[in-house]
Amino acid sequence: MSALGELSALGRKKPAGQKKDNLAAYLFLSPWLLGLFAITIGPMIASLYLAFTDYNLIQAPEWIGFENFTRMLSDERLHNSLRVTFTYVFVSVPLQLAVALLLAVVLDRGVRGMAFYRSIFYLPSLLGSSVAIAILWRQVFGTEGLLNQVLALVGIDGKGWISDPSTALGTLVVLNVWTFGSPMVIFLAGLRQIPTMYYEAASVDGAGVLGRFFRITLPLLTPIIFFNLVLQIIHAFQSFTQAFVVSGGTGGPSDSTMFFTLYLYDRGFGNFDMGYASAMAWFLLVIIGAFTAANFFASKYWVFYDD
Amino acid sequence: MRPLIPPTAGRRLRALAAVAIATTLLAASACGGDSGGDSGSANGEVTLRFTWWGGDTRTKLTQQAIDAYQKDHPNVKIKGEFGEWSGYWDKLATTVAANDAPDIIQMDEKYLREYADRGALLDLKKAEGLDTGKFENDTLSAGEFDGGLYGLNAGINSFAIVANPAVFKAAGVALPDDTTWTWDDYNRIAAELSTKLNGKGWGTGAPGTNEAALNLWARQHGESLWTPDGKLGVSPGQVTAFYQNLLKLRDAKAIPSAEFVSQDMNAALDQGAMATGKLAMSWMWSNQLNAMSKAAGQELKLLRVPSVEGKASANGSYYKGSMFWSISSRSKHQKEAAEFVNYLANSTAAGSILLAERGVPPNTEIRAAVTPKLAPADAASAKFIQDIGKELGNPSPAPPVGGGQVEKIIQRYTTEVLFGRQTPDKAAQGFIDEVNGELK
Amino acid sequence: MTTETIRSTVAARRSVGVSWARVRPLVIHVALAASALVMLYPLIWMVVSSLRPGNEIFREPGLLVKDLRIENYRLGWNALTEPFTRYLLNSAAVVLGAVLGNLVSCSMAAYAFARLEFVGKKFWFAIMLLSIMLPIHVVIVPQYILFSQAGWINTFLPLIIPKFLATDAFFVFLMVQFIRGIPRELDEAARIDGCGRAGIFLRVILPLMVPALATTTIFTFIWTWNDFFSQLIYLTDPKMYTVPVALRSFVDATAESSWGSMFAMSVVSLVPIFLAFLLGQRFLIKGIATTGIK
Repeated sequence: MSALGELSALGRKKPAGQKKDNLAAYLFLSPWLLGLFAITIGPMIASLYLAFTDYNLIQAPEWIGFENFTRMLSDERLHNSLRVTFTYVFVSVPLQLAVALLLAVVLDRGVRGMAFYRSIFYLPSLLGSSVAIAILWRQVFGTEGLLNQVLALVGIDGKGWISDPSTALGTLVVLNVWTFGSPMVIFLAGLRQIPTMYYEAASVDGAGVLGRFFRITLPLLTPIIFFNLVLQIIHAFQSFTQAFVVSGGTGGPSDSTMFFTLYLYDRGFGNFDMGYASAMAWFLLVIIGAFTAANFFASKYWVFYDD
Repeated sequence: MRPLIPPTAGRRLRALAAVAIATTLLAASACGGDSGGDSGSANGEVTLRFTWWGGDTRTKLTQQAIDAYQKDHPNVKIKGEFGEWSGYWDKLATTVAANDAPDIIQMDEKYLREYADRGALLDLKKAEGLDTGKFENDTLSAGEFDGGLYGLNAGINSFAIVANPAVFKAAGVALPDDTTWTWDDYNRIAAELSTKLNGKGWGTGAPGTNEAALNLWARQHGESLWTPDGKLGVSPGQVTAFYQNLLKLRDAKAIPSAEFVSQDMNAALDQGAMATGKLAMSWMWSNQLNAMSKAAGQELKLLRVPSVEGKASANGSYYKGSMFWSISSRSKHQKEAAEFVNYLANSTAAGSILLAERGVPPNTEIRAAVTPKLAPADAASAKFIQDIGKELGNPSPAPPVGGGQVEKIIQRYTTEVLFGRQTPDKAAQGFIDEVNGELK
Repeated sequence: MTTETIRSTVAARRSVGVSWARVRPLVIHVALAASALVMLYPLIWMVVSSLRPGNEIFREPGLLVKDLRIENYRLGWNALTEPFTRYLLNSAAVVLGAVLGNLVSCSMAAYAFARLEFVGKKFWFAIMLLSIMLPIHVVIVPQYILFSQAGWINTFLPLIIPKFLATDAFFVFLMVQFIRGIPRELDEAARIDGCGRAGIFLRVILPLMVPALATTTIFTFIWTWNDFFSQLIYLTDPKMYTVPVALRSFVDATAESSWGSMFAMSVVSLVPIFLAFLLGQRFLIKGIATTGIK
């Protein structure tokens, strides 16, 4: 939570002598505060309490102190799920953001029919977590899938990409990159906020495409890049549905796609161990919180606000 | 002040907010029905909530049975709630935790004791109006433990081998005599099929993609996957032997490659290699014959599982409840719920609507009445259940609390063994340790 | 691929000059079209499958349809206890409420965080971020109990009311980032003109953050339309089921599934969100860039 120091940026340019607007601010915040106290906080505190109990969902929870947390230390499947999750976060987030940013920039200006391509590239993201994804993915990456058919044309023997423990996680990374539509849209919206006169000025200065990209687009887009980075990291740590759907809920083969949240779910709903699952959830919260804090801290050095 | 944008914007926003609030209230009033529970009203009308998982065929049939019941019982209203398998259990767990469980619950063996041992289910022996007199011997025992009956068998099932005669024919191999075949026969025939199919298919799907084959193996060797007192009953030695046999099958190419088996493990029934005609044999629950035949577009045939001694009566087979009817212990209308379950289980009217969609009816009278109406494949599986009736061993105890995880665990160790990442004895020990770790 | 396009574009323009300028759009189009095809293959497969008889779907690889059948659509529409129209309408009701809720409540909270100075700002901002870090599976049970105490089970309220209370912190954060991209001088100008806080919010900030509002609308629409878990948990009566809950009722992994119907109805359910995207994206481009301010 030390990240919050970095939020100082939020109030950075307070004009001197301006009085605080507590009343107005809290009025604007009132729906959110009401939601926070009525809907969000209660269940959060409940889950924090449950993290210290043995709770099987059916009988009343029983206080067991830190036992759930000490159990996590020796739970090898949990350690494996952490490895899987970290690998996924570090590989898929940068890839997805890079693809989204590139396409957003290409689609933003100067291409006719841009709206058409934008829609096409967004289509996969519409599918989201539908059951159809599981089947589609098998059609592409299965032993007799499209990828292997294409590889066979060039004489390469394919394999069961989804069912081989060494490549299954890779197919999920591809799935995540494939659904790059959301960050792309956010980038596009951000690009649209960059005043055109900056580009005009740069053109007059004789800057080329790359020059304009690095000198104008990238710096002015940093708040949005930052947002996407923070949120996609949080999102990737919580990644659940795609692995769940593609592996049929097992995190298989051989736990190779057993994300932390998948394991958490398995403990909570599969094994009726909601106490342990809650402890895991709070452990994950600390990890995500640390990453977010680090992100906010680092943002001081690379994110530029116009305000 | 000088408006930067058209002054209507503010008004529009206010209008937007008004619409938003109105919509919400509308939604609230339109849908604010009762959420179950205290639904006994003054005129004696009772509302029961009834939940099941399954595809649209089951949903249609079940709804028809409900409608028929409601016609005869105008004071009873039954609300059906349906969904697919994995979401079903999340929802059930959540509603039970919130003390808001449906009255009548379609239950699976995997979770039966999870709920029953913790007091969430009613002991059906104590329920009024439920008759089990016509049930075939041994069909009740799977839902029975600690002296109570917590799940009423809704359809009989047995683990079996399904064979595709067309693939056998294409390979030029004769169907085995399933009353006398041994594991050696099974291995040999499967390998021969693979050889003769020459890459176009394989002899058999792998045993060990769920726990049932291991249970049969254990029962043939004087053990059992679970003991009646809720412990793991299989020894490391037998699990090792089971996996060694699996490796024999793999090395003889009697089963598909590790990748293929692993991919098939979680494929939906109609996507699997059996449905697409790539396998001559596969391990399957007998009530899946109809669905599998339709998916394969072929008439498939059920075979008894092989045994050590080459005697069908020693192959360890047992009647399993394909699913169960349970009643929530917190139901406010237990009597009415029990009467409805009685209707589902014992009435010819319900039987002739539901047919064998949930498995062969355990009530022998209903089975007799229904059999002529069954689709050919369902009739074949009903006959199979009938035929093996004389050969069955002891009933197999329901998995204990925590035992529902065993399927995922065995799938994982089977994958490890097939990919050569673990030796059979190491995997066996791992399997046993992990299952014991799950039991509570 | 795209980097190369840009790079080669730059290089080429310097050397070749005019002729390249004519070829360039073509090259970009070919590259985009090719990658679009790769992106779309699975979707095309899905549409093709929806036109095939159910038992052919997994046995026939490739994209060729021998006999085109729209039967799946007819069957799928009526396969469950209610006609599919019902599920579409239910989903539409939930989505409409959720979109309105998010637009109103999140923009208000975001304005406070981005522009106003108040006691406890950092604290509340941190709490807001924290609230999106906890996986839903551990809060669903306490939340269900909460809503069931309120008598809201089997209504759309648990799916809509939280949106009016800005519980989707994702969008609050998104809007904060966008508002901070709006030059403060505009606020000052409005203030000098006599606008209060509410006036600035309504007359300056909201109109200038149309891209963010459009983004919020599109995402809320799509995510709510596709959201399975909470809709499954809170809606018990099949009359109240929404599209994602209904879609999964076609599939039973252990028995016979109506894949044809499932694919057909999946295609149907894609239409509204695709339309929402098409309409919504027009507002994405109405940023400062086009309004010409500044």
